Amino acid sequence: MIEKGRSSVAEGATAAGGAPRERGLRAERLTLGYGADPVVRDLDVEVPEGGFTVVVGPNGCGKSTLLKALGRVVKPVSGRVLLHGRDVRAQRARAVARELALLPQSPIAPEGITVRALAARGRYPHHTLLRQWTPEDEEAIGRALELTALTDLADAQVGALSGGQRQRAWVAMVLAQDTGIVLLDEPTTFLDIAHQYELLELFADLHRRGRTVVAVLHDLAQAARFATRLVVMSAGRVVADGPPGEVLTAGLVLDVFGLPCDVVPDPRTGTPLVIPHERRR
Amino acid sequence: MRTAPARSAPPLLRLGSAVALPLRPRPLLWALLLLAGLLAAAASTLVLGRLGIPLADLPTALTGGAEPTQDFVLRRLRGPRLAVAAGTGAALGVAGALFQSVTRNPLGSPDVIGLGAGAGAGAAVVALVLPGVVPVPLGALLGASAAVLVVAGVTGTGLRHPGRLIVAGIGVAAMASAFTQFVVSVVARDRASVLHAYVNGSLGARSWDHALTIWLVVALAVPFLVALAGPIALSEMGDELAESLGSRAGRTRTAAVVLSVVLSAAAVSVAGPIAFVSLTAPQIARRLSRVPGPNLALSALVGALLLVLADLAVQQSPLGDGLPVGIFTMALGGVYLGFLLVREWRRGVL
Repeated sequence: MIEKGRSSVAEGATAAGGAPRERGLRAERLTLGYGADPVVRDLDVEVPEGGFTVVVGPNGCGKSTLLKALGRVVKPVSGRVLLHGRDVRAQRARAVARELALLPQSPIAPEGITVRALAARGRYPHHTLLRQWTPEDEEAIGRALELTALTDLADAQVGALSGGQRQRAWVAMVLAQDTGIVLLDEPTTFLDIAHQYELLELFADLHRRGRTVVAVLHDLAQAARFATRLVVMSAGRVVADGPPGEVLTAGLVLDVFGLPCDVVPDPRTGTPLVIPHERRR
Repeated sequence: MRTAPARSAPPLLRLGSAVALPLRPRPLLWALLLLAGLLAAAASTLVLGRLGIPLADLPTALTGGAEPTQDFVLRRLRGPRLAVAAGTGAALGVAGALFQSVTRNPLGSPDVIGLGAGAGAGAAVVALVLPGVVPVPLGALLGASAAVLVVAGVTGTGLRHPGRLIVAGIGVAAMASAFTQFVVSVVARDRASVLHAYVNGSLGARSWDHALTIWLVVALAVPFLVALAGPIALSEMGDELAESLGSRAGRTRTAAVVLSVVLSAAAVSVAGPIAFVSLTAPQIARRLSRVPGPNLALSALVGALLLVLADLAVQQSPLGDGLPVGIFTMALGGVYLGFLLVREWRRGVL
């Protein structure tokens, strides 16, 4: 289930001398944050190409920071992030941005921008100073608006949209970037439950169409239902990593979140569902 | 690639295969209109009033075949003044657009946060206390840089929080202005015109040297502005997103602030700290173009037009030439500043 399409082989394979280049994202001995108490310590994690990886963990466990480091936005104190086998910090920001996109938690919509213009900003890494338009632009922007069901709202102002539509507009921007890998930092926060599922279905759809999706989520049921792979973090470390059905157990939830619970199969999908115990007095 | 009928591509400026720049019709149209307005205002500046060159004689005068009085008006009196006004307005407009974009707030403008007043103080010190030792533009640059550093330092959050920025800026502006008045009153207490030059800004008695200074700085800034326009627009969406799209947010911000300081300082060194052009020009430009982003070129044109018009109004006002243009812009801009303060307050930004 994890290994889809081109598999992520290459533990220790070097990019040198005709050997098959490793694909996907990998963090090696990553330490993030400053001072004596780093947010993420000595972390190894692999994001194989083609998966829908969901990162979960308690508040402050470093999952957001990890995502930013994977997206080349946070500079590691030590360790490195490899994109298709090459250190992201050793590559030009634009080159990385053509391979991998990051939607941060609270992006700011410029005043008066339309949905189409916002999506068009995703094309920036494909442009140069003198070529600020490529024939692929219209295609990529049109497809992004279609996938996010915003084609009819293309000329609407982002500021006038509902919360769900606005978040879809940001996703459209990231999709227009046309990258193989998409990183999403809590993309469903502040949305009502219907809009949350609508977005998650969209991400699952993107994954089925061949993109590698990595999302930080809070809701364990959603994570278990949509992820092909769950990465559980606690206090800056990865404590569990694998298919949700294997990883998400009552013991893990108690250990990581301190929440006594039962884990039962979701009646619709069979994926694990966390049922917290009522508190005894 | 799919060959489905291509979605209508935007109008493009193409040069072979190397250059493909999208043309936006609305900003382009406004740029042409503003340019026409600027030409009309410039012609009016030369034509109107007691010493005006009659419109019919203007072409001859411009090509050098005028009678001595007209020649004097054109080459000594109004020509350089006009050139300084247009260049200074353009520099102030761009400086404002850059700073407002970096601070993501219309109030984060060089004239509001004390940059102009700082430049004025720097210029006053080198021009009056150390005449001939340090060039005036350098003094203005030092003053403006010091003002920015103090403002960024005392907010505790750099240039991030607009409310703190404005409060700190008002303090810095007041101190710089008081310092300038102190310097002027010690060195040149008998000359009100000197005071105006460094406290309010004035375009009286400008020379071609002043015009050359400001236009040179504006011209030198152009390539940097062209390179910065894209990254600045991205930075408005937040540093993380800008970086993930492949631009360098920190470097962009530093470059924008430095350019803004240099342009403001150049403007102040030739015309004094003229208020509110930096504040208003980018806002007007943004509303005209309806394109998000800093709108640098339109801000320059609006700034130039505003200052040329303001100076035209001052020159033709019944109070006569003596009224410094800076007092006029302050009177008009103060109203707009009040409006902005109330609006941002209601929005909860301050």
